[in-house]
Amino acid sequence: MSIPSPAPETSGALTLRQLAALVGRSLAVPALQSRWVVAELSDVRTNNGHCYLELLEKDPATGAVLARMRAAIWANVFVRLNALFTAATGQRLASGLKVMVCGTVSFHAAFGMSFVISQINPAYTMGEAERRRREILQRLKAEGILGMNREIQWPVPALRVAVISAAGAAGYGDFMNQLYGNPSRLRFRTALFPAVMQGERTVATVIAALEAIAAECDRWDCVVIIRGGGATSDLMAFDDYDLAANVAQFPLPVIVGIGHERDVTVLDYVANMRVKTPTAAAEWLVAQAQQELDGLDATAAAIVRAASDKIAAYRMQVAYQSSTLAAAPRAAWQRALDILDRDAAVIGSAASRHIVAGLERISMTGRALATAATALTSRAVERLTAKADLLEAYSPQATLRRGFSLTTFRGRAVTDASSLPAGAEVTTRLASGEFTSTVKTILPQQ
Amino acid sequence: MEKPQFTPVAELSYTQATSELDAILRNMQSDSCDIDLLTAYTRRATELLRECRRRLQATDEELKAILADLEK
Repeated sequence: MSIPSPAPETSGALTLRQLAALVGRSLAVPALQSRWVVAELSDVRTNNGHCYLELLEKDPATGAVLARMRAAIWANVFVRLNALFTAATGQRLASGLKVMVCGTVSFHAAFGMSFVISQINPAYTMGEAERRRREILQRLKAEGILGMNREIQWPVPALRVAVISAAGAAGYGDFMNQLYGNPSRLRFRTALFPAVMQGERTVATVIAALEAIAAECDRWDCVVIIRGGGATSDLMAFDDYDLAANVAQFPLPVIVGIGHERDVTVLDYVANMRVKTPTAAAEWLVAQAQQELDGLDATAAAIVRAASDKIAAYRMQVAYQSSTLAAAPRAAWQRALDILDRDAAVIGSAASRHIVAGLERISMTGRALATAATALTSRAVERLTAKADLLEAYSPQATLRRGFSLTTFRGRAVTDASSLPAGAEVTTRLASGEFTSTVKTILPQQ
Repeated sequence: MEKPQFTPVAELSYTQATSELDAILRNMQSDSCDIDLLTAYTRRATELLRECRRRLQATDEELKAILADLEK
């Protein structure tokens, strides 16, 4: 155990108040008064109407803090300044914003050094935010992921909705009421993946929620990122490369409804669907599902119609076949019978025709025969007559009548005088009568 | 005359049944109808017609039940 040493002499040392007064005096120089400064806001909070914050300067490459200073905006200034800033930029003063402010460095013995802000230039912040947004978009584009989520086809119907929001937020309530109170009683299924929707933890918690959804991707049709409603709130967090890259490459379509009217964040560019409010997000989902339901109703009606038409057509066909069948066999039979009758008639007539023709032929032959016979007879008669005439003409009697005579010797006609013996008694026949003579002289043929 | 061989109607599809029915009716209405087979074909056609009617009826009833479900 050591014995405490006696208190050292205080002569020549300042009290802290004296030191603070000294610092205060040395800071009260024109160079530190009403100076315009550009810095990033951090740790912004209000108390009793006053706004306390920190100003930072970070290394653009590493993000390491290069300078840090406390700052304050007193209540009387803050009301005016905040209104001006919000009206111009559409957002509150919040951590992460790049601002250009005018103020004075002051020192308080109890609270230390502080930059007391009196003016702000919203145009700088807007320009900064815009520049940052463009930068992020260009990077996303260069990496080829800018349009990825926008190109995802919506599952049909999209009824399973993973919601990223702050639990208990008014916007979440609006969304759920709108979704579950839909007039067609479309049955949505939702689950809340809670995240902090403003301030510095926004990016980390929203990305964590996205990862949780991605882990059970096949249980969900889409993701809805919603927040707020009402007051314009800070959107800085949503102009973040990591968050935008996560959303852009998310395997399910993402709807963003982060409750702002005038500004567009990077998230709005990469998300598949952008709506203004959580209520609008729910309305959009309901409309899509309703359209699908209407399509199904129309299909159902078409099926009913087509089926009825088809059945009716078949009924008609069967009725036709039935009526045809009632008559067709008898008709076929009748036709066969008719054919038989016709054939029979043909056979009959053909037969009789043949007989008549035969008879005719026979009778004709008979007649011809008779004619021929007659002709033959008469020709024979004629020929006979002619012969008779000829005979008549050639008869010895006719010759005798012309003055010739026939001499016979011993019953034979004498044609050669030398055949007669002398003294032969010959008989000469004349046309009328005959006489006998004795041959005296025979004269031979000269 | 050879007796025609028919597939049992239960093994035919509706379309096959009506097609066969059509073919038989067309044949009956043509001059090439074989009278020896007329009875057999008429019996067959009647059988086909009965089967078609029965299936149509069953389908209609089933459809009505299904569509009633659809319109709920």
